[in-house]
Amino acid sequence: MIKYIARRILQMIPVFIGVTIILFILRSPGVVGGDPVRMITGERAISESLYNQIVERYGLDKPIYVQYATYLNDLVHGDLGTSYQKSRPVSDILLDKFPNTVKLAVAAILIEMFFGIVAGIISAVKRYSFWDVLVTFSTSVLVSLPVFWLGLMLQLLFGLKFKEWGLPYLPLSGMSGSEFPDIVYLIMPAVTLASVSTAYAARIMRSQLLEVMGQDYMRTAAAKGLSSAQVIWGHGMKNAMIPVVTYFGLDLGAMMGGTVLTETVFNWPGVGYEIFLAIGQRDWPIVMGATIIIVFIVMVLNLLVDISYAFLDPRIRYGRQVA
Amino acid sequence: MVSDITGFDDKRREVPVEVGAADELAVSEDLEYVETGPARSLRADALRRLRKNKLAVAGLIWIIIVILIAITADLWAPRWLGDPVEIDSTTAAERMLLSPSWDHPFGTDKLGRDVASRVVYGARVSLMVGVLAVAIAVTLGLILGALAAYYGGIWDAIIMRTADVFFAFPYILFAIVLIALLGPGLQNVFIAIGVLGWPSIARVFRSSILSVKENEYVDAARAMGASTRRILIRHIMPNAVAPIIVYATMSVGGAILTEAALSFLGMGVQPPDPSWGNMLDDARSFMLTAPWLMIYPGIAILTTVLAFVLLGDGLRDALDVKLKE
Amino acid sequence: MAPLLEVDDLHMHFFTRDGVVKACDGVTFTLEAGRTLGVVGESGSGKSVTAMTIMRLIPEPPGKVVSGDIRFKGESILAMSEREQRRLRGNRIAMIFQDPMTSLNPVYRIGEQIAEPLRLHKKMTRKEAWAAAVELLRRVGIPQAEERARNYPHEFSGGMRQRAMIAMALACGPDILIADEPTTALDVTIQAQILELMQEIQQRTESAIIMITHDLGVVADMADHIMVMYAGKAVEYGSADEVFYHPLHPYTWGLLDSLPRHDVDDKGALCPIQGQPPSLIHLPPGCAFGPRCAYAGPACRRTVPPLVDIEQGHLSACLFAGDAAFIARYENRVTRAGAGAEVGG
Repeated sequence: MIKYIARRILQMIPVFIGVTIILFILRSPGVVGGDPVRMITGERAISESLYNQIVERYGLDKPIYVQYATYLNDLVHGDLGTSYQKSRPVSDILLDKFPNTVKLAVAAILIEMFFGIVAGIISAVKRYSFWDVLVTFSTSVLVSLPVFWLGLMLQLLFGLKFKEWGLPYLPLSGMSGSEFPDIVYLIMPAVTLASVSTAYAARIMRSQLLEVMGQDYMRTAAAKGLSSAQVIWGHGMKNAMIPVVTYFGLDLGAMMGGTVLTETVFNWPGVGYEIFLAIGQRDWPIVMGATIIIVFIVMVLNLLVDISYAFLDPRIRYGRQVA
Repeated sequence: MVSDITGFDDKRREVPVEVGAADELAVSEDLEYVETGPARSLRADALRRLRKNKLAVAGLIWIIIVILIAITADLWAPRWLGDPVEIDSTTAAERMLLSPSWDHPFGTDKLGRDVASRVVYGARVSLMVGVLAVAIAVTLGLILGALAAYYGGIWDAIIMRTADVFFAFPYILFAIVLIALLGPGLQNVFIAIGVLGWPSIARVFRSSILSVKENEYVDAARAMGASTRRILIRHIMPNAVAPIIVYATMSVGGAILTEAALSFLGMGVQPPDPSWGNMLDDARSFMLTAPWLMIYPGIAILTTVLAFVLLGDGLRDALDVKLKE
Repeated sequence: MAPLLEVDDLHMHFFTRDGVVKACDGVTFTLEAGRTLGVVGESGSGKSVTAMTIMRLIPEPPGKVVSGDIRFKGESILAMSEREQRRLRGNRIAMIFQDPMTSLNPVYRIGEQIAEPLRLHKKMTRKEAWAAAVELLRRVGIPQAEERARNYPHEFSGGMRQRAMIAMALACGPDILIADEPTTALDVTIQAQILELMQEIQQRTESAIIMITHDLGVVADMADHIMVMYAGKAVEYGSADEVFYHPLHPYTWGLLDSLPRHDVDDKGALCPIQGQPPSLIHLPPGCAFGPRCAYAGPACRRTVPPLVDIEQGHLSACLFAGDAAFIARYENRVTRAGAGAEVGG
C-alpha cells in the first residue's frame, strides 16, 4: 500500500514539472515573442529608467533557463511573486480568497452528492419509469446549460422577481451582508456551481447501479433470502458507489477551476473572481499563482482519489500488494 | 468542459429481461436474429438505430435548422429584423430596450439593435467556433494519438505525458488563462479550445488504435508485407472512426459552451460583434428592466448545445461506442 | 406426510416485446428428502428457469407463473407472501450458481458472505456467524479456514470459490440444495472434486439435491432420478438407472450419444445432436424435438406428445416410447456402433 502511494506521488512529479513549464512559457511572452515589459505595463507610456527598472526587478535580461530556475525555486519556497496592482505577496492574497472558494466548492459538492446520488438511484431502480425518463432528460439539459446563464436566471427569478412579487427572496450577490444570515448567500452560487456536476453524478450513479444490478452476485444475495432493498443497499451500493465516490473527488478539483464563472456571476470573493479581476488588471502574478495552486490542489485530490479507490476496492488493494 | 461531455456508458436499453432468466433467453433471441435478420452492414445498422432514437433525431434536425439560419442570415435577417451591429443614431434613442413585439420578436438592446438579429448572427459565431475549434482539436489529436499508438516507446511517452499535463489543468480555467495571455478575440478562442481539446481526442484515438492493433488481422496484414501507412489507413482508421465521431459531436457542444463562457467574461468575441456569450454579458446590467436580453441568447445556447449532446448520445448508442475517462 | 418438494405442471412464461417465451412449460416432478434429482438439458431448455422459479428469483414482470404450483412440504410457495418466501430462500432451499467467479460479491470478505444467511435466518450475532462460517469453510475442505475466511473472492481460485459458494448454501442446513451447473465453469480436475464434495455432503446431511446440468455424465453417479428437459418441457423422467440404461426418448438418446462412453470403447464415435434448440417463442408444431429427431415421422409434426408413464415411474414424452420395436432401434444402433468401432480398431 505504501509502495503504491509512493509510486503515485513519484508519478505526479513529472506532471507537475510539466505544468510549471507550460505556465512559465505562458507567463513569459518573451519566450514566445513580444516584449515582456509590455506584458506587465500594458500599453501606457513609460520612461526608459522605469523600463530598465522593471527588466532588472523581474530578471528579464537573464537567460530563459535562469529565469525558469528562479521561478521554480521561488515556487518551491512558496513564493508566488508580488501582485503588480496590490503590491502584496500573491500567496497572502490567495490565502484570503481560498477559504471562500473552498466553502463554495464544498457546499456545491454536498448538493451534488445528495441530488446526484438520489436521482441516479431512483432512475436505476425504477428503470424505464417516468422518473427515469425525467432524470435522463434533465441531466442532458443540465450538461447543456451554460453555468453562468443558469446563475443569471436564478438571480433574475429568486433575487429580483421574488422580491418584486413579495415572496421570500435570496440575495443577488456577495457572500455576507446585514440582510441575511451568511449561509443564505451560499445557496444560489452553490446550486449554480453544482448544476452540471450533479447531472454527471446522476448519470454515473445510474449506469453504475444498473451495471451492478445485472451482476451474478446480486442474484446470489437474493438467493440467500435478502429482500430486494437489502440486496440493493447491502450488496449493490458498495460496488456501485466506488466509481461514484472517486468521481466526487475528481469533481471537487474540477470545481476549483470552474469557480471563475460562478464567482464572477455572483461577485463571490473567492479565487475564481480574483482571477477574473486580475486578468482585467493584467495582474499576471495573481493569475499564474492562483492557477498553479489550483492545479496543485487538483493533483493532490486526484492522488487522494486513487488512494481511496484502493481502500474501497479490495481487488486493487491486494492486487497491488501482490504485484 | 469538452472533456466532461463524455464518460458515462449507459447500458443499452435493448435487453428485454434482466436478472436471472437472461441466459436462457439469450439463446432464443439469437435464434430469432438468425432466422429473421439478414446480415446488415454495420453502417446501415447504426443508421437504423439512430433513426429510432427520437431525441437524437430531434437534435439533428435542430442542428440543421441552426446551420441553415446561420448560413442564410445575410439574406433576410438585416432586412426583416434590423442590422445586428450598426446603430442607427437617428432612431436609436426611441428604439432602446423595447420589449419583444411583432417588429422585434426578441426585443431590442440598449443601443436599439434587434436582439433576434443578433441572436441569428451569434449562431454563426457559435457554429464556427464549435466546428473549427473541434476540427483543430481532432486534427491535432488524431496526429498525436496515431504517433503515440503506432510508434510507441519514446513517442508514446512524450505525447501521453504531455496529455497528462494538459489534463492536470481544470479545462475552463486553462482556457481562460490562455486567452488572457493570447489576448481576446475569436481567433484566439479557436486556438485555445483547439489546443486544449487535443489530449482527449488523442487518448481516445490512441486506445482504439491499440485495441485494433491487438487484433490478429493487423498482424496478418503486416505479415503479408503491408506498409505501416497502409495498415493505419486500411485497417485501423475504419475501426477507430466511430469513437472519434461520437467524441467530436459531443465536443462541439462543449466548444460552444466554452466560447459562450469566454465571451461572457469579455475574452471572446468583442463588441459590437454579437455572440451569444457577450450578449449575456451586456444583459447583466438590464436584468430586471429588460430580461429578454438574457433569456433568448441563453435559450439559443442551451438548445444548440443540447442538440449536439443528444445527437452525440444517440451516435454513441447507435455505434455502440464506449467512452470512458 | 407430504413430500419435500412437489412441482406440479409449472408454466413460467416471459412476456417480452418479441412475444411470449415459454421458458418452462408444464414441468412436474416430486423430490423426496435426501434424494437427488438430476435435471438435464441443453442451455435454453428451461432447466435454470425451473430452478429459479422454485427459488422465486425470477423478476415479475417480465416473468409470470401462468399456471401450476410449487409445494414445499405440502405448502404452496407461490401462495406465500414475499416475506414467507424469503424465509425459505437461503434457509430451507438454497442455491449454488454456475459461475463462482462472478457469483461472489467482490467487495465483501468470504467469511462475511457465508455468515450473511446465518445472521439473516438464524439471527446469529456477527461473532457467532463468523465462527460458523469458518467451520463451514473447513467442512467444504478449505485449508486454513480461519485465515481464508478473511480473504476476498479474488484471492480464491475458481474451485475454492465454488467450495465457498457451497458453504454459503449449506450455511442454514437447507432441506433442498439446488445446484445450477455447479461445475460447468471449472477445470475438469476441479469438477470431480466439487462433485465428490457434493456427494459427501449429501451423505452427511439429509439435504435433497436438484442438480442441474447439461452433462449427463455429471449426474450419472449422483442422481436417484433424472429429468431430461427440452424446450421448456420434461421429455423423460425416471430413475437414474432406467434413464441411463433404457432411455425412452430420442433426445435422451442424443444426449447419451454425445457423451464419451467408457463402456463401449469407441474412439471418435461421439454423435452430437444435429441442429439448434428451437426458439421458445415460435415452437415448431407437434413435438418440439421433431425437427432435430432422426426418427421423427409425420405424426410427430401433428401432435404434441404428452409425458406418459411407460413402465412404472419411467416417463417419456415421445409418441413411440411405448413401441418396443421403436426403442429397439436405439438399442440396436448402440450395439452396431460399438461393433463398428471394434471392426475399425
